[in-house]
Amino acid sequence: MSLDPQPKAAGPQVGADEWVARQEDRREYLPSWLGSAQRAGERIGWWPRLAVAAVAGLLLPVIGLGGFQLQVGIDALVIAVLAVGLNIVVGWAGLLDLGYVAFFGFGAYGFALLSSSQIGKAGIHLPALLSVPIVMIGAAILGLIVGWPSRRLIGDYLAIVTLFFGEAFVEFTNNVAPKTLGGPNGIISIDPIRSFGYQFTSNESYYYLLVVVLVLTMAVLRLLDTSRTGRAWRAVREDPLAAAAMTIPVNRLKLMAFAFGAMVAALAGTIFAAQQISVFPTNFDTPILILVYAGLILGGAGSIAGAATGALVVMVIYDGLLRSPTDSGYLFYGLILLTLLVKLRPWRRLGLVLAATAAFGFAAHAIAGAISSSAVAGRPASAGWIGSALRDWVIVPANPQIAGNWGFVLLVCMLIALVQMKSWWRTILLVPTLYLACFVWETRLAAEPSITRQLMIGAILIVMMNARPQGLLGERRVEALT
Amino acid sequence: MGFFFQELVNGIVVGALYSLIALGFSMVYGVLKLLNFAHGDLYMVGAFAGYFVIQWFGGSKALTIPVPLLLVIMFVLAAALTGGLGVAIERFAYRPLRNAPRIAPLITAIGISFFLENAALLLFGGQFRIYNTSDFIPFSSGFQIGSVSVDAVQIMVVVLGIALMIALQQLVVRTKLGKQMPAVAADREAAEMLGINVNFTIAATFFLGSALAGVAGVMAGLLFNQVTNTIGFLAGLKAFTAAVVGGIGSLPGAMLGGLLIGMAESFITGYVSSTFTNLLVFGLLIAVMLVRPSGLLGQVQLQKV
Amino acid sequence: MKGRNIIAASALGALVAAGCGSSGGGTTAGGGSKACKASIGIEAPITGPVAVLGQEQLHFAQLALSLDNKQNKTKITLVQGDTQLDPKQATTATQQLTSNANVLAVVGPAGSQEVEAVGPLFARATMAFISGSATNVTLTQGKYPTFFRVVSNDHVQGMNDANYIVNNLHPKAVMIVDDQEVYSTGLVGFMTPILKAAGITVDHESVSQKLTDFSSLVAKVTPATSVVILPWQVAANAQQFGRNLAQQHKKAVIFGTDGLFSPDAFKIPGSYVSAFGPDITAIPADASLVTAAKKYGSFGTFGPPIFAATHVIDEAIASVCKAGQTPSRSNVLAAIKKTNESTSILGQPISFDSHGDNAHGKFFLFKINSAGKYELIPG
Repeated sequence: MSLDPQPKAAGPQVGADEWVARQEDRREYLPSWLGSAQRAGERIGWWPRLAVAAVAGLLLPVIGLGGFQLQVGIDALVIAVLAVGLNIVVGWAGLLDLGYVAFFGFGAYGFALLSSSQIGKAGIHLPALLSVPIVMIGAAILGLIVGWPSRRLIGDYLAIVTLFFGEAFVEFTNNVAPKTLGGPNGIISIDPIRSFGYQFTSNESYYYLLVVVLVLTMAVLRLLDTSRTGRAWRAVREDPLAAAAMTIPVNRLKLMAFAFGAMVAALAGTIFAAQQISVFPTNFDTPILILVYAGLILGGAGSIAGAATGALVVMVIYDGLLRSPTDSGYLFYGLILLTLLVKLRPWRRLGLVLAATAAFGFAAHAIAGAISSSAVAGRPASAGWIGSALRDWVIVPANPQIAGNWGFVLLVCMLIALVQMKSWWRTILLVPTLYLACFVWETRLAAEPSITRQLMIGAILIVMMNARPQGLLGERRVEALT
Repeated sequence: MGFFFQELVNGIVVGALYSLIALGFSMVYGVLKLLNFAHGDLYMVGAFAGYFVIQWFGGSKALTIPVPLLLVIMFVLAAALTGGLGVAIERFAYRPLRNAPRIAPLITAIGISFFLENAALLLFGGQFRIYNTSDFIPFSSGFQIGSVSVDAVQIMVVVLGIALMIALQQLVVRTKLGKQMPAVAADREAAEMLGINVNFTIAATFFLGSALAGVAGVMAGLLFNQVTNTIGFLAGLKAFTAAVVGGIGSLPGAMLGGLLIGMAESFITGYVSSTFTNLLVFGLLIAVMLVRPSGLLGQVQLQKV
Repeated sequence: MKGRNIIAASALGALVAAGCGSSGGGTTAGGGSKACKASIGIEAPITGPVAVLGQEQLHFAQLALSLDNKQNKTKITLVQGDTQLDPKQATTATQQLTSNANVLAVVGPAGSQEVEAVGPLFARATMAFISGSATNVTLTQGKYPTFFRVVSNDHVQGMNDANYIVNNLHPKAVMIVDDQEVYSTGLVGFMTPILKAAGITVDHESVSQKLTDFSSLVAKVTPATSVVILPWQVAANAQQFGRNLAQQHKKAVIFGTDGLFSPDAFKIPGSYVSAFGPDITAIPADASLVTAAKKYGSFGTFGPPIFAATHVIDEAIASVCKAGQTPSRSNVLAAIKKTNESTSILGQPISFDSHGDNAHGKFFLFKINSAGKYELIPG
């Protein structure tokens, strides 16, 4: 027996769990080059990635953002902070909180009441450095109150109670105490945030503030995530009974999740109120809840970066790109082409489908034109080069509305049929479906940009969840349903 | 006293409507553990279908067929249409997500809800479509006891609602499909191993649930007269509430929950104040949930570790 | 496999780049020496919970544009800004429109609370915005220098309506129901003190705009309540309320404000409706307009003011072009300030006072006869 350090034995070692130690090797990565990017990213580490994202975010206005893009950026960042906070409750602790927006509203209204002329003769005008923490602590207490039923209620029952709370908040601010809370008129003329000797009034300043706040929040939550509390939350999410058997204080953790989530939401609310200079009850209604959830789940619940990324992507698409008819057109055609590119396996098939669609289109246009001139008398609704390129390809009747409507219904039926079909039948049916899609777009959808925006976000949500249910940056989990 | 009974009548009628929607919601939830947020929009599709049937047969003032036949056609067509739509949605959007975490179908359902609502806006326009029920079922066809008036439409809604609930209960108890549904709900893999065609059972459940929503939509059109693309949201919310308060997955619970909400709304509006109706109804329901965490008739879930 | 995904990713990147490049605004504003080219924006609840109002406003704006383009030989296009009656979305829509260099003026927004949220943005961009339905009194007190409206405010309507009820209908008790929106609560705020001062018992109720069944509320209408005041925005809801009244054999008469003015949607016999404009279906000069509007379905009170507002902007742009200048936001704003139309679709002249209110805002009262037709009450 020598005293030299023993060489590594081949067999299992006492006190060293190899299976756990090699856990990282069994990670599932995205296919091909995306997977390489993912592995490279992980080698860099979480903190440097956050720093890179922060710098990119801060530099964006320098490259040049118009007023509209800046506004979209601010809105996206607010939703991103909300999504990151919701991630604590939904992603880490596994509690379905459908009243989350109420905390957002509480933060906004709290700040509005404390930093405006609303209460009393001249109003309370607390400096932001005082009012924001007060509001956050108040929200934490509110979170504890709302979370208290979670001791007895599980899953969807908790969802209902939190949903009530969310609805009740909107009703409350709309109808109760209109002199103080403003009723449907809301509270206006809120003070801007004044701190560190600087007054945040312009949109640019709020953008930078929000980037800083988002990055700081993500950093704090990362510390929380990698701590015992984070691990305990994940245990509670996966199996509360087993966690309780391991002496994890399940109820206390649920309350903590609510409280932390509420604090983050309130923080977002205060900045939101200061930036909008006003708050109204409709600011905190269900549409915002849907956006936050969509962002969180599309990005990947359970991952901080996923929550932020998903929220930013959803908001930029919904409130930014889809509001402009030309961008909606690009997005529509682009997404179709992208899907074809990714889904049609051999190159031959893709080329075949595209060529067949083009031929089908020209043939159909010619036949329709020969039958009746009014059938092709209309102009495609897309402006710019797309419209002119498709002029002789897509049939646009003189009276596009009725034809477009029927086409829309037919298109939905064909898409459903397409899903049922297999292999070659599917490829063959794809050709008229593609043409029909362009037809419906040019006759009806592009002519109603506001309605199309809602239709597209709905379609994007459906398709993205089907394509990747765990979200962009989420990890695939299997839930035991019993 | 008459006031009390009038509010009671109102509450029962509205409650019957909510119960129907909640039933369909609860059926789907029971089988797939899926919160189908698009359920309310199927109700809206049913309501539109009923409207177009009236227009097809001449419009409310000049009907070309007798009223009972019109009603039968409306209900059957709306049920078939929404049932088919429900099956298509399940096949298209929910089936690929059967094994995904439960929160994924939530977002898909929201996406479908957006899509259906705005598709209705695109196809039918924003204007309200009016049934004008009083044109073909006049108010005089109801009866009046003292100061309480009950309309023929209201009676029909309650009777049809009860009939459907009984039929559903019989289906669950007596038919093979009815026995397969709880089996699939309890353990899908085991049910498959026992030879149950799981896909068919789930599709049938969706068909029935959606058809109920469609029928409720026609009823709502007859009762409330105005149909627009946004009526689904509030109805779906109330259905969700009723199903949960009654105990999710329990059909009698859904009926009870719907009735409770209808009556609570009616009495609180009548006796307290309409301003705070929603707030107080929410408060009442939260109180109910806190007292009975699994809902009124829900079974206490045994959790396996 | 690898190549395919690279191409997919680069296609996506190109898409994003194209999007970023063009999302600042459409084509460059033409110098337009021959044709007068411009864009105007419309902010309305085109989708969302009150899409019925926004769609009507959108269609009337489109109608006005097509008629004016034909008449003035201009090429003005419409850019949509969907607000869903939410001030937050109104802010985003306003930023979208103000960032678009082609947009010279905006029609809308529909709600008073939206005006409060977006007023400063328009002022900063020196862009005029004309609303057809924001009736809150505080909006024309000098805070929003580029705000105009073609309809009168709540003060005028509320006072006139309340005085008419007190002096002509002599009720012992009334029920006044608001729909939890700013328009409604504002009117209630004006009318209730006048009614109470006349010794009338006022039962103030409040329902959500999303509610479609009023049987529980109608059951509360006592026999002594002879008037139910409904300052609502959705006329079809009031029609349902009236049906519930008839169904429960209540004798109360409905008194509605201009939100209820819709000959197609609200026609309970015996009701009163106040409005800012006469019934355009009864004005012979508007006959062709009415037929053109009919193809969009029934309309009420929200479309015609937007038509008038769009027409004001169209004329302003046309006048700038006629003077040989290139239309820009500031000269269109100046032209709008000088608007002086002797007649309009609303049957009255339009010109704006220094705060943006329509200087000729008149008040009309209608009664619905037993055939469901609107009859003007003289005086």
